[in-house]
Amino acid sequence: MSRSERYLPCLPGGADTACLLRARQLVKVYRADGVAVEALRGIDLDLAVGEFVAIMGPSGSGKSTLLHVLGGLEPATTGEIWLRGRRVDGLSRSGWAILRRRHVGFVFQFFNLLSNMTVADNVELPALLAGASPRQARKRREELLAELGIADKAGAAPARLSGGEQQRVALARALANEPSLLLADEPTGNLDSSNTRDVLRLLRRVHDGGQAILMVTHDARVASLADRVINLFDGMVADDATIVPLPRSLNGVGDVLELRG
Amino acid sequence: MRGTLRWARADLRARPSQALLTLGVVAGVVAALVLSTMLLQGAVNPWQQLFARTHGADVLIYFQNGTNTSELSSLPGVRQVGRPYEAASATLEQGPVQSPVELRGMTPVPPAMSTPLIVAGTWLRSSEQDGAVIEASFAAAVHVGVGDKIVVDGIDGTSVPMRVIGIADTADQGFYPQWTPGLIWVQHGLLTAVEPHQSETQEVVGLRLDDASTVATGQVVQTIWNLYNGPTENSAVLRYSTWQQVQNSMASNDRLLGLLLALFGVIALVAAPCAIANVTAGSVLMQRQDIGMLKALGFTPGQVVGMLLAEQTALGAAGAGFGLVAARIMTSSAFVRPPDGTPVGLAPLSGSWVALIGGGAVLTVAIATIIPAWRAGQVSPVAAVQPTPPRGHLSLIARLGLLVRLPPALVLGARDSLTRRLPSALTVVGLAIPMAMITIALICWSTIDGFTRDPGRIGLAAAVTVTPGGGLDTARTLNLISHDHQVLAYYPGAEFDTLLPGDNGTFIARAVGYSSRPYPFQTVQGRMFDAPNEAVAGQGFLTLMHIGVGAWISPTIDGVPVILHIVGRTIEPDNNGDVLDFGLDALSDAGGGGPQLFYALVLKPGVSPAAARATLLAASRDELDVQLVANPADGLEVVKVVIVVAVAVLAVIGLANLLTAAAVGQRDHLHEVGVLKALGLTPRQVTATLVVNTTILTAIGVASGTVAGLVIAPRLINMQGQTSGIGSGIAASLPAATVVEILAIALAIATTAALFLARRTTRMSDSAHLRSPNRPSPPRRHALDNVNSLRTR
Amino acid sequence: MRQPLLALLAKEPAHGYELKLALEATFGQAYPSPNIGQIYVTLKRLEQDGLVCSQDVEQTTRPNKRVYELTPAGREALRAWVEEPSDGPRIRDEFFIKLILAPMAGIADRIALMNAQRRHYLGLMRKLTDLQADADRADTAARLLIEGAVLHLQADLDWLERCQEELV
Repeated sequence: MSRSERYLPCLPGGADTACLLRARQLVKVYRADGVAVEALRGIDLDLAVGEFVAIMGPSGSGKSTLLHVLGGLEPATTGEIWLRGRRVDGLSRSGWAILRRRHVGFVFQFFNLLSNMTVADNVELPALLAGASPRQARKRREELLAELGIADKAGAAPARLSGGEQQRVALARALANEPSLLLADEPTGNLDSSNTRDVLRLLRRVHDGGQAILMVTHDARVASLADRVINLFDGMVADDATIVPLPRSLNGVGDVLELRG
Repeated sequence: MRGTLRWARADLRARPSQALLTLGVVAGVVAALVLSTMLLQGAVNPWQQLFARTHGADVLIYFQNGTNTSELSSLPGVRQVGRPYEAASATLEQGPVQSPVELRGMTPVPPAMSTPLIVAGTWLRSSEQDGAVIEASFAAAVHVGVGDKIVVDGIDGTSVPMRVIGIADTADQGFYPQWTPGLIWVQHGLLTAVEPHQSETQEVVGLRLDDASTVATGQVVQTIWNLYNGPTENSAVLRYSTWQQVQNSMASNDRLLGLLLALFGVIALVAAPCAIANVTAGSVLMQRQDIGMLKALGFTPGQVVGMLLAEQTALGAAGAGFGLVAARIMTSSAFVRPPDGTPVGLAPLSGSWVALIGGGAVLTVAIATIIPAWRAGQVSPVAAVQPTPPRGHLSLIARLGLLVRLPPALVLGARDSLTRRLPSALTVVGLAIPMAMITIALICWSTIDGFTRDPGRIGLAAAVTVTPGGGLDTARTLNLISHDHQVLAYYPGAEFDTLLPGDNGTFIARAVGYSSRPYPFQTVQGRMFDAPNEAVAGQGFLTLMHIGVGAWISPTIDGVPVILHIVGRTIEPDNNGDVLDFGLDALSDAGGGGPQLFYALVLKPGVSPAAARATLLAASRDELDVQLVANPADGLEVVKVVIVVAVAVLAVIGLANLLTAAAVGQRDHLHEVGVLKALGLTPRQVTATLVVNTTILTAIGVASGTVAGLVIAPRLINMQGQTSGIGSGIAASLPAATVVEILAIALAIATTAALFLARRTTRMSDSAHLRSPNRPSPPRRHALDNVNSLRTR
Repeated sequence: MRQPLLALLAKEPAHGYELKLALEATFGQAYPSPNIGQIYVTLKRLEQDGLVCSQDVEQTTRPNKRVYELTPAGREALRAWVEEPSDGPRIRDEFFIKLILAPMAGIADRIALMNAQRRHYLGLMRKLTDLQADADRADTAARLLIEGAVLHLQADLDWLERCQEELV
């Protein structure tokens, strides 16, 4: 049984509870100097609870914009967004902010840690924001940092950490409130291969923990971890495919690869 | 809420210098405001402090001697009754001059209520039975100091010599000569010597009331009047005075001080919010990305605004607190007394003033923060993750500059200051406003200084007036004056209180000199009179009469109708400018008699009026009445202190703005600097680029501020002059050299600060500039563009 | 198969079964396990070409075994092979021919073709990443081989993206 078969298909109608995130006919138009640029041109997208979906596509295809719109960082021009069975595209900026606190975690390519705050404060902030007591927030932070192997960096300033460590802190921050949806924008785009492997391992663990991940990436290795890969081209979905690994019968490396003799 | 607190705490810890800047600016402004208010309030309304410091009486009642005053303490509304003192009327004899005096009998133990406040010498002592303590304004008016011997005549002519052992302030009565008689405290024996008949003396009782409001005070006085002055002819209450009367008498009508108070209020209202808005806007600019990230994490726009507002307001409150404490410390021991003897004590400000200043400062901080905070609330969360597009481009001028091979540092620095519009505008405005205020303050100083240094400019060419009297006739007086080698010129004159047409007030008609040889009035409009039927007038008179220069008037002066043509307007510091000046020949031509003459003496340059007075007094064996001419600037010495404080605070505000601008610039430049260095600009060239950038902005800000100040200040001062009756035309200008000096000093300070910061930026390691994963760097690209265009030149 | 056998014999003379074991030890999982008949056929051909020579060695308890040894001509051939530069995999690509020719023939449209190819690549990538996760860390040759394959696959996907941008 392939991994994607674990998920029930999203039923028609936004109020389906098995469907975590649903977008219909999303359009985003930017206006700059009087010229309208269509970044998204009618995107349909369904994400089941706990599903891991990668978004690929050439630069300028609207990947990041889609992620921002789905997380409410910028409003869609038209179209519907449903999150956890609730229509959210009409929310005010404050409404989106409150929604993000509890249900949406963000991870970015450039980590975007709050430079003024220590690692511990960065991770505790979302919990505090969501109304946790300082004690609860600290406990959760200690768990997360320990799990990500950076417990000893709690008191450090973000600028003193390596890229991989910073991205782990960013991940811990995104997971602080155990959001049901993690939006990741090129999370490994600024990491070397060994740090990339570590972050991927962590993402896989998050996925196994039942949190849904929607991730923009250029890296096929990263994308291949997903249950499904959506390929965007020119603001539209060009392909939406479940990843089917090669048959089980092929086992050893030698079977997959053929050395030219 | 907790998240907000956590962020604010981290922010304060991460950028203590920014926090200190806000704290310092607010503390400085608050301290300066408190200080200025205390000084000016002291100058405008000295009563409040005197009353507090002397435990003054709310009401003084003069009873006929022997009245039973024991009932007073049981009257409704009376809280405390002072010890009754014996008082007697008398005259102070000084040669030909006689001044009315009230002698008040006291003991060597000063009274608990209305305690005279000794400002020189000592209080009465049992060892010095002939000792007298004189009220300060009276002592100043009659030129008596500690150690002087005086003679007091009783009503029946008994002359009693006394020795002045002390000078004291009191809130019992107003300043002499507005309030007569003058007050002298003596011991009982001396009082009896002057007034042996006890029936002629009075008993003075001070009262403190439960409610000292005007209405309540009036009621108590009425009650006492009714009680003691019943229907019988025998009136036990002779007279009374209330604190309201004293306060009114003491209140200065010098509107210049009032204007200055308002002016410094304006400075605080404009410069301080500007500085605070600058600091806050700077920190918002520097934190755009972090704020965007906060919003991505789930901060609502309202929370972001609230967070910045709360943080800055808390800083403002802390700053205000520091400022109040600092002002308290600075003024706790100080007691300023201008040379004319007017008491200008520094009493602690009332609670409402402190609340007004402190609360106003905090409110100002909050208001100043609103716009930057609102902008921060609007920052898109996407700003956190998307680099902003490069701003600015090489302007035509910059390209031209490169074409003619100007140093690249100069061109790049200039380009930067002209293309980063918002930060540049903040810097320029942030410097221009304090600079304009400093210029205004300095022009105020220069104007006041001009009053003292060159009294002729405000129509006070004569420093001394002499009135013949006593045993000296006019001829001998003239003889004395004309032989005094300190006297440059003298003008005979006469003054008449004259009714305005319609009987709605009076003005002073003054004849000095002759139309052929007029007194050197300072004419600022029209010309000096040079015919017997011509006159000049002060602004106050023209305003009263609703006329202008060129009008004909026909007042009745000294009983004689005169027709005069007003040909000019003078600067007139006397009598609110309600003065009409003409030649003595105008009167004699109209058939006026020979009034009592005085002589206005213009002294030779460098001669002190006091010395000239002493010489004349000695030459006439104290027979002449020699008066020094009061200079309105004497009361304004206190303003100079205020100006110094204000300039210091403004300089701090300007510097704060500059540092904020430099800090914002530094953040933007960090990436650029690395690229410039990597492309081959020497560290010195890079430093020069940054310094040029700051210096150009500073030069624009400082120059425009100074020009604005130079334009505004004379208007403000002349407006003040016009309303106060002195007349416009009193504002002094700053000498060109001083202006250049100010500009040079401001630029030098700015350039030094810029150099310091630029060196720090340049010295940071190259890799730190280029390797910055946390900050996608927008400026990098246009820095490259610049250098490419340098190359392809 | 020829060159690996020559390389192994350059180290020391060996008989057929020893060579099979040496091949497995050197490449681990990275190389499909060779069958012994194939090795003997290859050795015989090498001997015919004069690149190796052989002699029988008697054994007491078992049948005689034939031990092979590299000849100078064989050593020369081995050196020539090592020094000759190797072509990368994407010199002639079958998919590219399909992509160009398919629309002409009216058999399939390019987008469908590219999507199918991408899905295939991603499936392959998933397999590789799974293998990578399972791979024995000590098996350096296998790890490097997978790493190389992953990078090639990434390049193929990038190239597919370029095709998409240019052809659609």
